[in-house]
Amino acid sequence: MPKHYRPAGKKKEGNIAKYITRTKAVHYLQISLPMFRRLCILKGIFPRVPKKKFEGNHKTYYHTKDINFLLHEPLLEKFREMRTHEKKIRKALAKKNEHRAECLDSHKPTYTLSRLVKERYPKFIDALRDLEDCLSMIHLFAAMPAVGRIDVKRIHNCKRLSHEWQAFISRTHSLRKTFISVKGIFYQAEVQGQTITWLTPHARQQVITNDVDFNVMLTFLEFNETLLEFVNYQLYHSINIKYPPILDPELEAFAADLYALSRYIDAESSLSSQTSKAITSDSGGQAEDVIMGDATDESDQKTNFPVIEAGSLMRLVIGDASTENNEDKETKECKVLFKDCVFFLSREVPKDSLQFVISAFGGVVGWEGGKSPLNETDEQITYQIVDRPTQHHMFLSREYVQPQWVYDCINYRMILPTMDYMVGSVLPPHLSPFVDNEAEGYIPDHAETIKKLQAAAKKHVLPLSGMEDADMNCLAEGIIDRNEAQETTEKMKMLKRIEEEYLQGLAMEHQKYNSSDNNTNNKPVVTSQLTENPSTTNDDQIKEDNDNMSTVSMSRKKRKLYEAMKISQSRKKANVELLKNRKKKAESKEDA
Amino acid sequence: MGEKPLVGKKRMKRKYRDNEIEPRSTPIDNIPEEEEKEIPMHLLDDWSDDGSDDVDFLEDEESSDEEDWTDESEQSISDDGDDVEETSEDEDGDLEEDDECIVFGGKKAESSNERSIAAAEESDSSEDEVPNRNTIGDVPLEWYEGEEHIGYDKTGKKIKKQAKKDKLDSFLAGADNSGNWRKIYDDYNDEEIELTKEETKLIRKIIKGKTPHSDANPYEEYIDWFNYEDKNHPVSSAPEPKSRFLPSRWEHKKVVKLVRAIRNGWIKADKPKEEPRCFLLWGDDTTENERRGLSYIPAPKAKLPGHELSYKPPVEYIPTQEEINSYQLMHEEDRPKFIPRRLESMRTAPAYDNALKESFERLLDLYLCPRIRKKRIDIDPESLKPKLPHPKDLQPYPTMCFLEYKGHTGPVTSISIHVSGEWIASGSNDGTARIWEVENGRCLKIWQFDEAIQHVAWNPLPELPIIAVSTGQDVFLLDTGCGSEDQSQNIKGLLNVNVSVLTTNSEENSAPLVTWVNHEKYDGIRLKHFKLVTTIDWHYKGDYFCTVVPTILIHQLSKKQTQNSIKKLHGLPVTAVFHPSRPFFFVSTKKNVRVYNLSNQKLIKKLETGFREISSISIHPGGDNVIVGSKEGKLCWFDMDLSCKPYKTMRNNLKDITGVAFHRSYPLFAICSHDSIAYVFHGMVYSDLNQNPLIVPLKILRGHKKTNGGGVLDCKFHPKEPWLFTAGGDSVIKLYCNEAPSMY
Repeated sequence: MPKHYRPAGKKKEGNIAKYITRTKAVHYLQISLPMFRRLCILKGIFPRVPKKKFEGNHKTYYHTKDINFLLHEPLLEKFREMRTHEKKIRKALAKKNEHRAECLDSHKPTYTLSRLVKERYPKFIDALRDLEDCLSMIHLFAAMPAVGRIDVKRIHNCKRLSHEWQAFISRTHSLRKTFISVKGIFYQAEVQGQTITWLTPHARQQVITNDVDFNVMLTFLEFNETLLEFVNYQLYHSINIKYPPILDPELEAFAADLYALSRYIDAESSLSSQTSKAITSDSGGQAEDVIMGDATDESDQKTNFPVIEAGSLMRLVIGDASTENNEDKETKECKVLFKDCVFFLSREVPKDSLQFVISAFGGVVGWEGGKSPLNETDEQITYQIVDRPTQHHMFLSREYVQPQWVYDCINYRMILPTMDYMVGSVLPPHLSPFVDNEAEGYIPDHAETIKKLQAAAKKHVLPLSGMEDADMNCLAEGIIDRNEAQETTEKMKMLKRIEEEYLQGLAMEHQKYNSSDNNTNNKPVVTSQLTENPSTTNDDQIKEDNDNMSTVSMSRKKRKLYEAMKISQSRKKANVELLKNRKKKAESKEDA
Repeated sequence: MGEKPLVGKKRMKRKYRDNEIEPRSTPIDNIPEEEEKEIPMHLLDDWSDDGSDDVDFLEDEESSDEEDWTDESEQSISDDGDDVEETSEDEDGDLEEDDECIVFGGKKAESSNERSIAAAEESDSSEDEVPNRNTIGDVPLEWYEGEEHIGYDKTGKKIKKQAKKDKLDSFLAGADNSGNWRKIYDDYNDEEIELTKEETKLIRKIIKGKTPHSDANPYEEYIDWFNYEDKNHPVSSAPEPKSRFLPSRWEHKKVVKLVRAIRNGWIKADKPKEEPRCFLLWGDDTTENERRGLSYIPAPKAKLPGHELSYKPPVEYIPTQEEINSYQLMHEEDRPKFIPRRLESMRTAPAYDNALKESFERLLDLYLCPRIRKKRIDIDPESLKPKLPHPKDLQPYPTMCFLEYKGHTGPVTSISIHVSGEWIASGSNDGTARIWEVENGRCLKIWQFDEAIQHVAWNPLPELPIIAVSTGQDVFLLDTGCGSEDQSQNIKGLLNVNVSVLTTNSEENSAPLVTWVNHEKYDGIRLKHFKLVTTIDWHYKGDYFCTVVPTILIHQLSKKQTQNSIKKLHGLPVTAVFHPSRPFFFVSTKKNVRVYNLSNQKLIKKLETGFREISSISIHPGGDNVIVGSKEGKLCWFDMDLSCKPYKTMRNNLKDITGVAFHRSYPLFAICSHDSIAYVFHGMVYSDLNQNPLIVPLKILRGHKKTNGGGVLDCKFHPKEPWLFTAGGDSVIKLYCNEAPSMY
């Protein structure tokens, strides 16, 4: 048969040759629809829109190449094999041949999705780019009860994967933003230049509804688990830590997985960096640290886990800061946000989330409950996070704040004054860090106050602290650590820049205001020049006329686009208006 | 149950004959049969154990076997009969006892007398009570072979061996005594015992394999304990087939198969090995790592949450109760899916109800939604507007209302400006036609007619200041008296209908389309039509003019002639216009514009507007461009050299275009509409044929009030200045100027 042979009645080109409807595809592949769905989900194949929908508008079209791609998928054959295997088992059971059934059951054909992961994401960066949905789903399932079709094993696996991911993020200090929403807590991290946002549900009993198809969800979960596992492997590999991590069973028993993971990572990294430690510990400023480090190292070698001690944790955090220089500015900033803070979590606050968040920003955490590295009575503790109406016994040496304070501090990248966040006080509003207020056209009051606070902090407080540092160093050692000096200078520079930017922004705003004023002033002047009888024309009329006139000569396509844009703009404006009105009303109510 | 196969029956028969009974028709259970079989086998074993003496006995038996057979059988049968009658109570027990008595029979022999007495006394337990004479116990007798004694008696005295008889003696003794066959020699006690009759009977029975005890009934009535009711399948009473006792070939084959399968690794006993779960998947970047296949479109990322999703949003993000209530009235699709609310603190935040559902919906989007790359334009919408020259650079054009001509009492339907630009004629629904002075708005002249005026038109010749006024079914040609004296004389001559000429004309046409009559009252000509005259247009030379009744008539003023040259038209004609310089004639029906050449009376072009209802048409003074306005509020510009399709169609957000007009010298055109708006455009036509006309909207002129009569009903440009006159439905005519005219 010649290569170009084409059966009669088969189109060679055009939409009909390129696309195939779903039903036809299913027939062509000789599989059932659920199987087709499953394959599509695993292979990441989605319908496409042909230029002309030749079989009707309501049908789903797939590209023929995609379908052929499925046809040659080894997984398809594997699925068939599994189906026949299941039939064999069923047959054996029906014939009461239990031995055979057992034997067959123990040798079920299995498959792995690693090849598919590589196929769908040939580069690691591709996988990171598509990780958001995966992460959200895994975190959701980690919080789900094992009811009905959901297997306990998978939920445990999800939990493990999510903790591993969080441990990596907090270890590399790549968390950028957090947001407590009604849906759960949103986190945004930056991994290898990719901004990844994911949602973790609140740590409560999740509601399981019946209106979801668990076939689909579990298939997705299957792929996502594999994907995240490989991603975690790669990420751990990139920071020289063995994967899968071996956790301290004691800590696991106390449901302190995250902490166990962080300790594992610390242990691994300290082992790997033992050789290089001698070089880095030259500077005199860290003499004490080195001694402490040696002491703990010995114990590491014995138990493979570092001793639970707040001091060692602190050391690790600080020690890393000096060793790793290949970090970008933002990471450095994030790393030192909670540098000198030691937190203690009461039992009513979300432990996992706060542990993750605080350690990602360089803080040390202890909690109420077993295996905590810190006791409540510890003198080091600077902040205790409580979420109860009243706190009976209070230590004077620490501040008692509500959990929102931590999240707000992170979002605004500064240690906020704790006044508003005291125990039992009414909290200030929690704003989304993902919204660009300027673009939205409405800036909430709280954002303004925060801006002022930030500006104030940058102007006065931080340079002073830098000075202090310098003084301290001079007094203590008489030698200024080069690194620190560099850091401070860099900080100064950055602050200056930020300040400048802010000032520029202010100036711009001011200008805008003026210019808009000018416009409003000018317009009537112009119109008055134009019109002799002002009763007939006014500003709005002229504006409308101008708009009208310009749209007259547009092509239809452009006009439609223009109109659509205008509509969206007006909607946005209406929204802003609504917000303003509501605020006015609320204020008037308060006054009354 | 039922009958058994013949072969089986035969075999049975033989078997039963061995046992010396007739085969029974009733089924015999397996168990009694087995018992019957087993007993003799066991006994035989015992016999063989007993040693050499038994052989003698047996030999004896054999010798007498043949002869005794018949009577014995008779006896047994008779015995059997007795046995059946006296049913034995304890069959098993009897059997055991019989066993014993036979086993030890040889050793416990007594004197025949004693034995007989014992037997007479008690048939069962005779042997136990008869003590042995010898007391050596159970030792081998050969130990005493060479001795004179065979052992010791109770008192410890030696028991002397009896002298052995000669063979001959013994034979003789045997031959004499008929009961000799009953005598057996007891080695142990070294004496001869004579068996009783019962004992011989017992032995016989044992030899035959029968129940030894005479009281036992081997053929007892069978009591079937098994319940056959409610059983679907019969319980087979068939004997065990032979195959059950042979190794199965099939099983053998199966085993071979299994062995082969195990050897070949088809059956694995041990669990499969677990491969490492994960590894460095993206380890080496050396291999090609480009995605193959179709271009991958990554799924759009989920929308990031805004302030309203916060657990504690600012107050203004929370809708009031009224607003929430109003959501219920909204359509389901428009209703906001999420209503923000304020939680007190983090500990009060509950689990989100729709978490699973929303996640599922996202998944559905991921695998079911077709993905397309769409260019999202993130630009300022203003930048979409075409870059047109600024209106200021295109001055002069009329911008503001300068004068109003008031006097009409009804909507002004039509206006016309004299070529010199000094006078303006207007016609109104109140039935008056007026002439105004342009510069000061003074009304020069008024004609009153009976019906509303449809159209007024000045003669384009400056030396002929005549206007044509259409009212009802008539068209009047009137002298305005604006010209000089010579001109007015000339006009008078022209406006006088010569009756003779008319008659000749009317003779030619059997039914005259129009009658030309002198009108005395206003000193003009009256053309009587047969229907309502809508529009009038003068030819540029001023001699011809056309009127549109539903048919199109062209009149010649000098000859007072009328002709109807265009007869075939698809659709009703709306307006008709002469070309400003060439002998072309434009007739617009409701949808199209037809262009005729008047010199050879042929259709040149058909301009397709695509409109539903054309209302007005105007021709560029250059002659190649036409604008057509429609009642849908659309305007189209035709470049006649280009195509018969519109060069540009413009929607103006207007209701209904009533009039369009080109300026004679300036590159301006205007449209007016029922929205009481007049639109001024810059419409530049270039002499270079490669360059398309430039159309720039310049100004929207407002000022007329909206009345029932309509907005702006007509607009005309001043022939020399960039001024626009508009006739309003509010019975006012307005003059829009570019700036305050300098003449004052």
